[in-house]
Amino acid sequence: METLRSEALSDVAYLTAAVLFILSLRGLSSQETARRGNLYGIIGMAIAIVATLTTTIGGASLDPHPILLAAIGGGAVLGALMAARVGMTQMPELVALLHSFVGVAAVLVGYSLELHGDGPGDLKTRIEIYIDVLIGALTFTGSILAFLKLRGSVSGRPTLLPMRHWFNLAMLVGSVGLGVLYAREGELWALAGGTAIACVLGVHLVAAIGGADMPVVVSMLNSYSGWTASAAGFMLDNDLLIVTGALVGSSGAILSYIMCRAMNRSIWNVIFGGFGAEPAKPAAGAPAAPQGEVADIDHETLATKLLEAKSVVIVPGYGMAVARAQHAVRELTEILRGHDKLVRFAIHPVAGRLPGHMNVLLAEANVPYDIVLEMDEINADLPSTDVVIVIGANDIVNPAAEDDPTSPIAGMPVLQVWKSKLVVVNKRSRATGYAGIDNPLFYKPVTKMLFGDARQAIEKVVTVLRTR
Amino acid sequence: MKLGIVKEIRPDERRVAAAPSTVGRLVKAGWTVLVETDAGAGSSYPDREYVAAGAQIVATAAEVWTSADVVAKVRPPELRADGTCEADGLRAGATLISFLFPAQNPELVARLAERKAHVVAVDCIPRISRAQKVDALSSMANIAGYRAVVEAANKFGSFFTGQFTAAGKVPPAKVLVIGAGVAGLAAIAAAKALGAIVRAFDVRPSVADQIKSLGGEFLTVHIEESGEGQGGYAKEMSKEFIDAEMALFRAQAKEVNIVITTALIPGKPAPKLWLTDMVQMMKPGSVVVDLAAENGGNCELTVPGQAVVEHGVTVIGYTDMASRMGNVASELYGTNLWHLLDEMGGATGYKIDLENDIVRGALVLEAGEKRWPPPPPKKVEPEVKESREGKLPAAAAAAPVAAKADAPTKKPSGHGHGAAVQAPSKTAGMVMAIVGLIAAGAWMYLRYGSDDAPISLGTTKLLQHFTVFVMAVFVGWQVVWNVAPALHTPLMSVTNAISGIIVVGGLIGGSSGHLEAAEITAIAATLFATINIAGGFLVTRRMLAMFRK
Repeated sequence: METLRSEALSDVAYLTAAVLFILSLRGLSSQETARRGNLYGIIGMAIAIVATLTTTIGGASLDPHPILLAAIGGGAVLGALMAARVGMTQMPELVALLHSFVGVAAVLVGYSLELHGDGPGDLKTRIEIYIDVLIGALTFTGSILAFLKLRGSVSGRPTLLPMRHWFNLAMLVGSVGLGVLYAREGELWALAGGTAIACVLGVHLVAAIGGADMPVVVSMLNSYSGWTASAAGFMLDNDLLIVTGALVGSSGAILSYIMCRAMNRSIWNVIFGGFGAEPAKPAAGAPAAPQGEVADIDHETLATKLLEAKSVVIVPGYGMAVARAQHAVRELTEILRGHDKLVRFAIHPVAGRLPGHMNVLLAEANVPYDIVLEMDEINADLPSTDVVIVIGANDIVNPAAEDDPTSPIAGMPVLQVWKSKLVVVNKRSRATGYAGIDNPLFYKPVTKMLFGDARQAIEKVVTVLRTR
Repeated sequence: MKLGIVKEIRPDERRVAAAPSTVGRLVKAGWTVLVETDAGAGSSYPDREYVAAGAQIVATAAEVWTSADVVAKVRPPELRADGTCEADGLRAGATLISFLFPAQNPELVARLAERKAHVVAVDCIPRISRAQKVDALSSMANIAGYRAVVEAANKFGSFFTGQFTAAGKVPPAKVLVIGAGVAGLAAIAAAKALGAIVRAFDVRPSVADQIKSLGGEFLTVHIEESGEGQGGYAKEMSKEFIDAEMALFRAQAKEVNIVITTALIPGKPAPKLWLTDMVQMMKPGSVVVDLAAENGGNCELTVPGQAVVEHGVTVIGYTDMASRMGNVASELYGTNLWHLLDEMGGATGYKIDLENDIVRGALVLEAGEKRWPPPPPKKVEPEVKESREGKLPAAAAAAPVAAKADAPTKKPSGHGHGAAVQAPSKTAGMVMAIVGLIAAGAWMYLRYGSDDAPISLGTTKLLQHFTVFVMAVFVGWQVVWNVAPALHTPLMSVTNAISGIIVVGGLIGGSSGHLEAAEITAIAATLFATINIAGGFLVTRRMLAMFRK
């Protein structure tokens, strides 16, 4: 009787937590409600943890080991420290790292169940353990590699092994074989072998994906981490895990889909394609060297042009994040707005290394979010814009996507900055973007180049503007 | 229930608390309306129109005061020189509704308390969105702002709009409005409509958009200090700020032809903003309209209630701007009154409801007991923003004669929403197909599966879990498509934190009471998952805190 009551109580608590998680995601539909959404998530999580610790399973109440409680405390402190220390430009790395933690936690939970007592008795549980551990391991190593790539510790260039599709297939077959063995015989080494294969697969999948596709990778790993939690829920007969995992999994899947659509590519192409290297091959024959002359502009002239302009659009890209130029950009914005200019930001969905990366950076620099617009919202206004400043962005403003059907990024929706009256492109150097392709924008007559580090360049313009 | 409308006794007060149109609505709602004879004369509402609307005309004010359950008027009841009070006839237990300004009129409040009646001050109605329809201060300020322009035009010797005629060129008039509350905004709109160049100054940066939306130019001083005070009013500013403000005004004084001041700070005399030397700097023939005249005036040369000419500049200090447009003022005041009575339960359910925040805020006396000032209202701010939005056009809707920050903040232009699109039907179709296939497979297995694979408890449970899983995927799918693209990074970090729910697995595994390999792994899992939870939620919080308009 007591047991039943306790189980019913924890069911109610779990249901509450699940609803709170849904409300949490719903809260993110607008900036106003987002903070409340986050709060819902925190409350839901607190309810779930307390309910789990106070529940009884199969008649026996839980007896948490002191070290477990210490782990909770320690984990919370570590997490809080990481969250407090991270800079907004490092957000992609942090997100990738956190994904890997979910992966490793899932693997450990699976092993814990396997190692417990005499191990799981029945076939069904073993299958579930195997699936959980595999997805977890794949998420773990994939995220670690993504983290290293985003941090710059590992080159962002795709690593493409010869016959990689066959390699993937072989690993898939191998893991299924080991899975059958484990499920039938309960051999621990088979589980370990499967884990190893999944680890390699995770590394291999992410290694094949190039830097420009990192937003997709991160959101896919986000999705995987959700499916992992869901698999753990099946394994532990726990509906809360299933629901929560499914929410996160579909969220990550949608993000990946949005990112892919923003690049006009199929998700399969991103996962298995190794994009960014293949087009480089034909380019090796034809000179990928700059075709044409570029015209420079100096800070003084740019300042004058800005003061003459009525409307200004700023297009930030990863270069702004790298140079941490967002505060300089905000200053520029304030000065121009002080002169009654219409200043707006145009954000391409895949600008940066994380979905919504640019929005976070601009928010950090106190740029009001109502002047930060999306591609669809601003494209129609670009022809009537006097000055467009492109800061550290390349592929997302490349007219080749529209004009040149042979371009590797053909068909990708881009910001049509070349339709405005003056485009000023700030770049560190004359190098090509992540996609490794030339950008005809730079040679258009409306385009002027402002070479140099984004922050220094913008700060110089700000200095000039202050004296006027 | 009997509602009594008395004639205003103050000379030159043209308004009346109910127009025939509002009387008609009240009678329909079940009120018996008594109107003192000639009460609407000043507003061009003859008695016969009240009769036609269903009111009973009563010969004397005393009769109205003594017989009505609710007496409504515009001005506060007057304390006469002979020691009597206009409201002396008010019955115990009856209600008086009017402007009262209890802070400025403590003797009057004390006098009214002797009546053991309820007293509701329409000027004390809290400025929450729900109360807009009751907000008589705003209705009156709106009228005052409009009238200020009309009065200025009357004294001003030239066109408002610029003209090129065969006889020569006339430049447009330049109008400076100080204080962009309801009255200020109404003045901006009216002056703009006459063709003038309109500039407006306000200490609250939040009103810049409203000024621009009405065609005015927003003037400000470049000092980081917001004049945003409580309840949407402005607060007093620092000396440094005031110095900068004065310098700005002196520069403007040489240029502008018309100055309309509307600055009020609640509970204090009106700030002196337009000083004598500024008036001297103005071109002869210019006009200053001081809407704060009743509270001492914003202009040093203002004589309350009069128009005076000083240094060739006409300074208008009329205190009866709204009353000068009695017809429309009575109509709007009557409508506010009708909504207030409705809020109090109407003719059938009339009561003093302390739970109603509008009534509570406006209630000064309850059966002679002082109930003012009310306890601080619950947080109302977001609500105010939301609902003021719709009102802006009419907007020049206006604060009391005070600079009121009704902040009709524009909603964040739904940034991103529209683009967040629905789940593309193709993908949704694919998902449906997969789910259908799985369901069909499960059904086939259960229906035709071999008998040596009986349906075990495990299989049933698996199916249950699977149902939950599919439903959760659908919910997630629906919910996440609504996320604004700008919030994709916070979405990732929050889902990241949420997927730390795997901690539940670690908690269960690590709580068997032993400490062996299984428990140690589970504890390690718990550690990682908690890092994730704490890190994810906190970093999301940090990010979201940065998003601002």
